[in-house]
Amino acid sequence: MAFIDARTLPDASRIEADLVIIGGGLAGITLARELAGGPLKVAILESGGREIDEEIQGLYAGTAVVKAPDNPDKPFDDYPVQSRARVLGGSGMIWGGKCVPLDPADFTARAWAPHSGWPVTRPQLQPFYDRACDLLEIPRFDADNKILKDPARPPLALDPQDGFFSAPRVFTRYSGGADKTAFDRFRTDFADAPNITVYLHANVTQVRLGKDGDKVEALDVACLNGKRHTAVGRTYVLAVGGIENVRLLLASNGVRPEGIGNRHDLVGRFFQGHVTYSLDGDAETEGTAVHVSRQPSMSLYLNPGRTGAHCVVAAGLSAQARMGTGNFTATLYAVTATGAGTPTEAETRAVRQVAARVDGNRQVGDGGDGQLLGFFAMSEHFPNPDSRVTLDPSAKDPLGMPRIHLEWRYAKADWDSLERSAAGFGDALGASGQGRACWPVQRGKLLEISSASRHHMGTTRMSADPTKGVVDPDLKVHETANLYVAGSSVFPTSGIANPTLTILALVMRLADHLKRDMGVRS
Amino acid sequence: MSTALARRDLLAALLAATALPGLAHAATPLLPDLDRAAAARIGKAWLAGRPDIGSAALARRLLPHGRGPDALPALRRQVSEDFRRGAVFVHRGWRLSETEGALFGLLALEE
Repeated sequence: MAFIDARTLPDASRIEADLVIIGGGLAGITLARELAGGPLKVAILESGGREIDEEIQGLYAGTAVVKAPDNPDKPFDDYPVQSRARVLGGSGMIWGGKCVPLDPADFTARAWAPHSGWPVTRPQLQPFYDRACDLLEIPRFDADNKILKDPARPPLALDPQDGFFSAPRVFTRYSGGADKTAFDRFRTDFADAPNITVYLHANVTQVRLGKDGDKVEALDVACLNGKRHTAVGRTYVLAVGGIENVRLLLASNGVRPEGIGNRHDLVGRFFQGHVTYSLDGDAETEGTAVHVSRQPSMSLYLNPGRTGAHCVVAAGLSAQARMGTGNFTATLYAVTATGAGTPTEAETRAVRQVAARVDGNRQVGDGGDGQLLGFFAMSEHFPNPDSRVTLDPSAKDPLGMPRIHLEWRYAKADWDSLERSAAGFGDALGASGQGRACWPVQRGKLLEISSASRHHMGTTRMSADPTKGVVDPDLKVHETANLYVAGSSVFPTSGIANPTLTILALVMRLADHLKRDMGVRS
Repeated sequence: MSTALARRDLLAALLAATALPGLAHAATPLLPDLDRAAAARIGKAWLAGRPDIGSAALARRLLPHGRGPDALPALRRQVSEDFRRGAVFVHRGWRLSETEGALFGLLALEE
């Protein structure tokens, strides 16, 4: 129906809808798109405007640190601001568009991975993954996956007994980082529907519960120009990101001192992120590298423009079980050889020559020695209750909201898993006669060489058991009758996959649930 | 057998089962550009943890049926088995099979 700048509404306006969605990012927009044209009156409350604004971004500001065994603490105070976009379209505005489903293994309860296991399975989520792929106009990740069936781009012949496989990634154009024009349509055209209203510059600062504490009655809405409003609905969906979801739930402590959904002290815990690990080589030292012995073309794995369909090498469930590890991927990239003529280069060349001969290569690559590529590793960050987002009551933003503190923690098990997986990757390559891997990284340098993605997961985790999760399998807050959470904060485990496709799949599932729950006939 | 001859035989074994049969039986080793000094350094690193091993024992272990055309497929099988049972040799981050480490060790001893 409309976009409305909440700053221009008369002070103390009352916004009414059947469904109020807090957050106009990809989760909130996708939910609204699913309901567009239907009978439910939907309001989206978005903190930002149409373009990224520094003052609004500043509302994210907080403190952060990464802590890990055997490594110095890594101050990370700029991360909350730098890793999200507070704008219509949310972090989709800065997203590169990479789409990946979680692996079936990611959904399983793994005995060696405490707190693992989703209350839904990959097959149960598959129809929603398909719908999400259709929405983003990308190929479906199903048995007919075209990427793996292109004869011009053959996959590595990895022996299935070793448990590593080629896992595809594709890119949608519907992201601010890929095609701004297409994404502008994506983030606005749904509001043409008569039942949708998007309120911009509308910050929710408090979720107000009824006096019994089991149901949301209203939302406090604040604008940076001083206006204050109220939003009222039958049902509410919180979709402002893996850190801000926590902030709002914990700060909404007017009725429940511990905050909303936090009876079991779970809100904000189990923060998980995605991190890449790679090391560039130089004349004296090796980098993280792969020698490929026999593969005539590695184009399936190389993605020079960072926008093309490609594969990574991933550890499947059997490999994880054998190694006692979490998910792991190796992403390959082209490198330019350095250090020609140095002892390091000579030894690398000798390693590659012998490996190529042992693996049976004599006809491809640079003089029969195969190809040398770089790789970065990603390793699942295991759920850890001590890795958490908390509030800093001593620091408040201009709207009076307490700022956050993120203590992003790794445990010894995370390092063990990464190192074992990197070794297992090399073993799988070697056992299959496909190549060798070089992982020259010392444990004490892992944080130093890491690079964090903008993915925030796990802080309002999903579980059928109210003592183990903030939301139930339908994404409803266990202890609150009419409040749902959308976004990667509901992920119990984080896998390796970029979370957006899974967020959208879960939102589509949520949309179907809300239609049923709110009496919409299909 | 002279040391030089033994080393040439080892290289011949490495080239024996290749994708170009015509070259497999060529007299010229297919690792002509192998940097002998670099290979020897890797070999010495492998030998460092095995001070008592000699070239004859290594050759028997690696090439029990001689250094003919059948040597390379056998080595390949052994390499696969090594990786699957965790018998590896890590050199400056490169994860090699124990068999490959031993090959470098033999090259170093026969240098």
